[in-house]
Amino acid sequence: MKALVTGVAGFIGSTLAQTLLEAGHEVVGIDCFLDYYPRATKERNLAAFRNNPRFGFVQASLVDADLGSLVAGVDHVYHQAAQAGVRSSWGDEFRIYSDNNVYATQRLLEACRTASVSKFVYASSSSIYGDTTDLPMRETSTPKPVSPYGVSKLAAEHLTWLYWKNFGLPTVSLRYFTVYGPRQRPDMAFHRFIRAVQTDTPIVLYGDGEQSRDFTFVADIVAANMAAAEAGTAGAVYNIGGGSRTTVNEVIAIIGDLVGRAPQVDRRAVQLGDVQHTAADTSAARREIGFSPRVTLAEGLARQVEWHREEHAA
Amino acid sequence: MSVHTQLLEVLVCPACKGALEQVREEAATLAALDCPKCRLRFPVRDDIPVMLLDQATRIPA
Repeated sequence: MKALVTGVAGFIGSTLAQTLLEAGHEVVGIDCFLDYYPRATKERNLAAFRNNPRFGFVQASLVDADLGSLVAGVDHVYHQAAQAGVRSSWGDEFRIYSDNNVYATQRLLEACRTASVSKFVYASSSSIYGDTTDLPMRETSTPKPVSPYGVSKLAAEHLTWLYWKNFGLPTVSLRYFTVYGPRQRPDMAFHRFIRAVQTDTPIVLYGDGEQSRDFTFVADIVAANMAAAEAGTAGAVYNIGGGSRTTVNEVIAIIGDLVGRAPQVDRRAVQLGDVQHTAADTSAARREIGFSPRVTLAEGLARQVEWHREEHAA
Repeated sequence: MSVHTQLLEVLVCPACKGALEQVREEAATLAALDCPKCRLRFPVRDDIPVMLLDQATRIPA
């Protein structure tokens, strides 16, 4: 099988590409190195497989690249590229989100429409649900995102369905619930928390810490992507959650135990766009693609803490 | 042929979608991809083709 992975230098994209290569697939990767976090971090993500002869890489933007040449001969497209960040999606910055999350997805879908792609897997987000008290979140719930980022991810998700409905392109959307693990982006909570405890500096925490998330280990996200490419129902949307809903305060305590140091916490006001709780109903993914999260929060956090140790020892 | 080499052969100019010419330097290292129609040069850095219009330069006369 030949796969195209967009956002291949990112946290999830690089982990997915590496796993596909280890499974014997060919991978074409594209990334434009958006400046949301340092390029050097993304280059380190790529380093483990950059020279694999079954891997090809181009630095290009989905917004203006010729995508027809990239999807030619590709069986599975894994569209992981996006402008990330809930809190930074307000105001003038929204143009970056509409370009990179909505327009880029439409261009990629358009290129795939006339190619021989057998499955297009789109990385959607639990942020499309918004701040609901109706838990667990089900794919049939009415989406009400509370951030412009969530709106952009939902718009792109609708586009993928539209290309299935109108043109028969077999698309599947996976709604990721708070992904963590080795290579996690430096702006993401666990990354910031672990580095703060390791360096004995205060964790900046927005809210009282009683907000909870259905945390999902990156290897489980990768497995869900590969299963969706093989067995996902065209046009379907699946929640992908780790099944271990936990409060942020509990996470901080676990990190303190793993690092062996009492965390300091600098509590600040809740940020616009943040939601209080997330929890995934993953029964559709279990039933249709055999999804079953394998990594517990304690095990996953231990792996991420170890990764940070190695990164900063190097 | 590696996937990366195959990829280099199918890339086209993001502006006009026209074919690109490979520019090689010492030891046959690929240095850039040129679009003769647009007169644009796309750099290849550490073997990574940079197909971004805002990083392309004019082909020297």
